[in-house]
Amino acid sequence: MKRSLLWLPLLLAALVAFGAGEASAQTVIYAAGADPDSLDPPNAESNPSEAVNRMIYENLVKFDSKLNLVPGLAERWEQAPDGLSWTFHLRKGVNFHDGTPFNAEAVKYFVERMLGPEKPSRAALYTPFVESVTVVDPYTVRMNLKTPFAFFLNNLAHSASGIGSPAAHKALGKDIARKPVGTGPFKFVEWVHGDHLTLARNEAYWGGKPKLEKIVVKTVKEDAARVMMLQSGDAHLAVRLPAEDILRLEKDPRIQLDSTETLRVLYVGFNCQKKPFSDVRVRQAFNLATDRESIVRNLYRGRALAASNIVAPRTTGYVPLPAHPYDPEKAKKLLAEAGYPNGLKARFISPMGRYPKDYEMAQALQQQWKQAGIEVSLGTMEWAAYLAATRKPVDQTEVEIFLLGWAPSSAEARWILYPLYHTEQWVPKGNNRTFYSNKEFDDYVDKLTKAAVQAERDRYLKLAQEILHREVPQIPILVTKETIGYTKKLKGVINSPLELTYFDHNTQLEK
Amino acid sequence: MIRYILKRLAMLVPVLFGVTLVSFSLLQIVPGDPAVLLAGEDANPDFIEAVRKEYGFDQPLHVQYLRFVARAVQGDFGISIRNRQPVIHLLLQRFSFTVQLSFLSILIAAAIGLIAGVISATRQYSIFDHASMVGALFGISLPIFWLGLLLMLVFSVHLRWFPAGGSGELRHLVLPAIALGAASAAVIARMTRASMLEVIRQDYIRTARANGLRETVVIYKHALKNAMIPVITVFGLEFGYMLGGAVLTETVFSLPGVGRLMVEGIFQRDYAVVQGAMLLVATTFVLVNLLTDIAYALFDPKIRYE
Repeated sequence: MKRSLLWLPLLLAALVAFGAGEASAQTVIYAAGADPDSLDPPNAESNPSEAVNRMIYENLVKFDSKLNLVPGLAERWEQAPDGLSWTFHLRKGVNFHDGTPFNAEAVKYFVERMLGPEKPSRAALYTPFVESVTVVDPYTVRMNLKTPFAFFLNNLAHSASGIGSPAAHKALGKDIARKPVGTGPFKFVEWVHGDHLTLARNEAYWGGKPKLEKIVVKTVKEDAARVMMLQSGDAHLAVRLPAEDILRLEKDPRIQLDSTETLRVLYVGFNCQKKPFSDVRVRQAFNLATDRESIVRNLYRGRALAASNIVAPRTTGYVPLPAHPYDPEKAKKLLAEAGYPNGLKARFISPMGRYPKDYEMAQALQQQWKQAGIEVSLGTMEWAAYLAATRKPVDQTEVEIFLLGWAPSSAEARWILYPLYHTEQWVPKGNNRTFYSNKEFDDYVDKLTKAAVQAERDRYLKLAQEILHREVPQIPILVTKETIGYTKKLKGVINSPLELTYFDHNTQLEK
Repeated sequence: MIRYILKRLAMLVPVLFGVTLVSFSLLQIVPGDPAVLLAGEDANPDFIEAVRKEYGFDQPLHVQYLRFVARAVQGDFGISIRNRQPVIHLLLQRFSFTVQLSFLSILIAAAIGLIAGVISATRQYSIFDHASMVGALFGISLPIFWLGLLLMLVFSVHLRWFPAGGSGELRHLVLPAIALGAASAAVIARMTRASMLEVIRQDYIRTARANGLRETVVIYKHALKNAMIPVITVFGLEFGYMLGGAVLTETVFSLPGVGRLMVEGIFQRDYAVVQGAMLLVATTFVLVNLLTDIAYALFDPKIRYE
């Protein structure tokens, strides 16, 4: 009997021996919260994909860490005075990872792919605006627009505008999503779905040899596991850190935390075509009964920013507007004026776990609104069902009040104002889930879209945002912050307000 | 025996047919549209339409179902809408991983469970018996994700013996195998103990002892072999469940197994993946049951399959 028990500790000891082992010093392990979906930028639909694509691909124009537009694969550009064409002067001596030269033909191929029959998921960045592309000379390309578009450069800097090798796309077709070929500082090695994705440095990178040798992006779904991998040294960097663990990580001297204010605003939307929410006084009552500061302080422990505008401060085109006051008494008065002296009842739905603390926030709102005599029943659904429920057309929808988040992935305000509030964009055609409709507002949005001069664009941006501030088809609650953690040995990590964390050729791992 | 096995294998066909019908219907009942989900909050309607067409979601339901069955019979389970890979490729990749984890877990569970069970039975009411039965109670009661996180905290963060997550090498599998095997070890221990207690009171055990056989031989050769039938049943069931994927363990330890593939497939309304995985899991379960039945005959010659 004793002999049979003896081998157990021996087995454990043997297994521990496997435990020892260190990854190569030049390899960085990045713990992501979810799998990428597609490594083909025009078809990528999630942040994990976009973050990886930012390392493999490059754009003509890119965002710096403050979201300013700076030269990428184009060294400079100019806009025609009528706003109808843009000419880009390309960087010379750049090659794709497969050896194909980057030039005007490659840009033309990319844009025509966006406009063509393949219809990539992000085609809408180009189709409404671009008429054609002309190769002026091997390193000069001109894009001819159908109408002037104030934020055209932002669309070019969007993750989906990362330019891939035309040769690779011709050869692989849709499989390019699994075998990406770009010009970026890192090139693709392998992708084991659900487990990890490996990138290696592009030795021939035009900006100089990248300092990191290898990047392994691991999919670690469980929040607590990402934190522990960071603490145990099994990961050099972890994204989407849960608020509960941040306090503990703050005390760890080896770990650098970085909270970046994003462009994402969490908001409560109303069905503006349905009584009583069609009455602006009712919507204002909800707004006055909402104590944003308390939510930010108590629920998010300061890792969020109270919002007064659906456009977050770091977005291009943001207009600062006065904070919405918290005044439950005035809210009651407005309700009485609107014909609800005894308060009102409504249905409120919120996703759970899609955004940081979303459902907890909905619960807090439910309590706050009670002070003003508003009784809401709170419901939740799993994400797919939630999206389906908030996408039903106006004559079928049962939604009254809902919670959602929105972030413009091209970093400009039109990407918020047009899809969320323009009458043309009512779901299911677009993303206007509040069924808000205001001719004056629509007109300002149309005008700012086509403005060829920036001053004019900014004037309409201000007018449009002021209308939303007054009429509150939705009440913006807060701007989220994205917290990442990494070992202090890692220098030059990019944590973009677009909720993307990635590395460039200057990122390095000190010994 | 051969005939029996063939008959059981033939029964797989109606079982799998039933599984396709049930899984297809369930997926259709659940609200949510895969194309809308793929497109996310800022969906582009053209793209949604294109995806629906590409994957055939615009067809009537019976056409979708028949098309799926017709392809599945030929070994084609379709393409995952989420990562655009052939489902069969994903299943094989994930399943090979689940098999490794399951083997290691069941090995740990069987080793701990059998030893603890036998000792508890032969030294009934001893300290060891009480301790191992309390341990078994914990093993069954501890939520697996909690145990997993605890193991990770102790062995990865503090002791640094094993990695906190990831896969690829045997060392990555140790903690998850312990977490996953703990409950099975507990069940096996309790079952072994109960079954052994019954057997060691039988006349033939007394006869064996009277014949002067060594206690080890009596226990391990005569008693344990006869006590194995209920233990094998539990063993087969536990192994069957493990091969069906261990979604909690896989999630906590970031392992790419079948369980996570299936559950994520459900959340993403990745119909092809869910259906393929259900078929795989059902097949494995039926096969493991068959193997269990065959194992009965090995341990107990009285059992014959005609």
